[in-house]
Amino acid sequence: MARADHVLVVDDDRDIRDLVKRYLEKNGVRASVAANGRQMRSLLDAADVDLVVLDLMLPGEDGITLCRDLRADGKQSPPILMLTARNEEADRILGLEMGADDYLSKPFAPRELLARIRAILRRARALPANLRIAPESHRWLRFGEWTLDTTARHLLDANDTLVSLSGAEYRLLRVFLDHPQRVLTRDQLLNLTQGRDAEAFDRSVDLLVSRLRRRLRDEAQEPKYIKTVRSEGYVFCSPVAVETR
Amino acid sequence: MSGWSRTLFARVVLILLVWLIAAQGLAYWVVMQERSLAVGSMMIDYAAKDIAGAVALLERLPAGERPAWLPKLDRANYRYSLAPTPSTATPDTAFTRAVLAALRAALEPMHDVVMRGNDAGPQVGLQLQDGTPLTIALAPPRMRVSVWLPLALLVQLAILLAFAWFAVRLATRPLARLAAAADAFGSRGSAAPLPENGPTEVAHTAAAFNAMQRRIVEQMSERLRILGAVSHDLQTPITRMRLRVELLDAGSVRERLLSDLHAMQSLVEEGLAYAHSAHAVEEGERAVDLHALLDSISCDYADAGSQVRLNPSVGATVVTRPNALRRIVVNLVDNALKFGGDVEIELRAGPGRPPTIAVLDRGPGIPEAELESVFEPFHRLESSRNRDTGGTGLGLAIARNLAHSIGAGISLSNRSSGGLEALITLPPAEAS
Repeated sequence: MARADHVLVVDDDRDIRDLVKRYLEKNGVRASVAANGRQMRSLLDAADVDLVVLDLMLPGEDGITLCRDLRADGKQSPPILMLTARNEEADRILGLEMGADDYLSKPFAPRELLARIRAILRRARALPANLRIAPESHRWLRFGEWTLDTTARHLLDANDTLVSLSGAEYRLLRVFLDHPQRVLTRDQLLNLTQGRDAEAFDRSVDLLVSRLRRRLRDEAQEPKYIKTVRSEGYVFCSPVAVETR
Repeated sequence: MSGWSRTLFARVVLILLVWLIAAQGLAYWVVMQERSLAVGSMMIDYAAKDIAGAVALLERLPAGERPAWLPKLDRANYRYSLAPTPSTATPDTAFTRAVLAALRAALEPMHDVVMRGNDAGPQVGLQLQDGTPLTIALAPPRMRVSVWLPLALLVQLAILLAFAWFAVRLATRPLARLAAAADAFGSRGSAAPLPENGPTEVAHTAAAFNAMQRRIVEQMSERLRILGAVSHDLQTPITRMRLRVELLDAGSVRERLLSDLHAMQSLVEEGLAYAHSAHAVEEGERAVDLHALLDSISCDYADAGSQVRLNPSVGATVVTRPNALRRIVVNLVDNALKFGGDVEIELRAGPGRPPTIAVLDRGPGIPEAELESVFEPFHRLESSRNRDTGGTGLGLAIARNLAHSIGAGISLSNRSSGGLEALITLPPAEAS
């Protein structure tokens, strides 16, 4: 990599933003800090920022508003990692709907923050820019008889019965749904699905695909949704409809 | 006492029934007594005159013609025969006395009238002038009871039952409503106020209940506010401390500080979760594929490198709060992992029985005496006093609160093969 990743930390607590900056720099990530939305905008204009760590609870313009504005700007805005005060479902849903790429609740483990930052950046770079989909507020993804709730992270079948997914299954399915009708190699899938517990996740992609097929009640011999492309990888072969509400 | 007779309804009906039967019986007895007195004396006088006539007729008839006449003289209540009178005595009753007196008045001094009797009843004996014995068998007067009388009594009883039912319902419906409201408040935390209308006593009780419920809700939400505020305000300093510690040079002090901070953070999180779990009703109920839920949980554990697996089972769909149920299972699995290592999850479902989730481990189990008390918040087993394995002591308490909030039962037992079995018994599906 030619240059170090540049992360902008927006938090009103001076100790926290300075400590996060020092921690990130100690781990080889370049970091800048901003105390509010005004400082954030001037830094975004001045420097090339790869990712914004945004606190939800800010005085004046709060994180939700800033997040929405960044997304609404239209120009290529960097990915956003939202810091929420509590692990509140409402905050989480709001943050994700406003276009945050991921969220982390306070108090967070610094290592977890670093892992998430790296996962988001890896995800953003795993695919060429034209394949990358902008994270936007699509709450429901429909395909075949299934609906994926992307905030609650579970499936709904034709009878509206909730079908749970494990973390790895959700990430894999999400990658497929974000890139339907594209052949994805095992390496790409592995890169894209390695999420927050990257070090723990070492199962083969094949095993995970067969697990996901079972969850989708898909036949391995004649799959309706995830087809195997010999010596290349997998392709999600059902059309996906986005629904916002 | 059987279950039915313990109900207020049964008791009120029983009291009213006894009262009705006693009152009716007494009235019936009084009326009958009155009637038998009036009718009885009239009938006996009439019968005495009739018998005197018959005796006079028999006196006049030649002895050979008398048997042919006897059937014509018979009446419903007395019959004549020319057989000798039995010599046995008959019990002395008001009736026999009255009959004897009336007959003597009508027949003496011409005839000596005696009262005798046998199994057939009282018999009056006398001798005709020529010495022929005449016996009159008496049938005691029977008061005819009309058919409609018991029918009327039955109709009265039916009306009584209907009114008793109505009255008792009037009295017990508010009680049932109160019980349902208290139940809903206790188990599901719903604090809908009771309507304060109806009779004065009922309205008063409802108002008192509502006031009590309001006070409890206020106290509970204040407790929640305090817990929330404390843990929220602890979050920022903990975050700062974690960052500072991470910036220290690696070493044993840093690791120990990190583990202390980790313990503090879990206590804050679990404390908040416990406060929430006591009345977790925010989440809506929905149909959930139980097998997928348990499979995804066991896969998450397996992906994280823990020895957790789901035993093969049939599928089942239940209507419940999925996040609450997930948290219950996760807490039980965490508990099993802490003590037991190798953990199995089992879904037991089938027609005619409520779906049950079992979390099995192969650890040392729990002493029988403590199987219930481990659900108390901050209860720790002797064997887990040290903090490395002890956790916060809130995991099982949270699980129990959440189980109650979804109407499920939760229990622990030691397995005969060693290890602990935790059971979640879900409420039976109403309609599937």
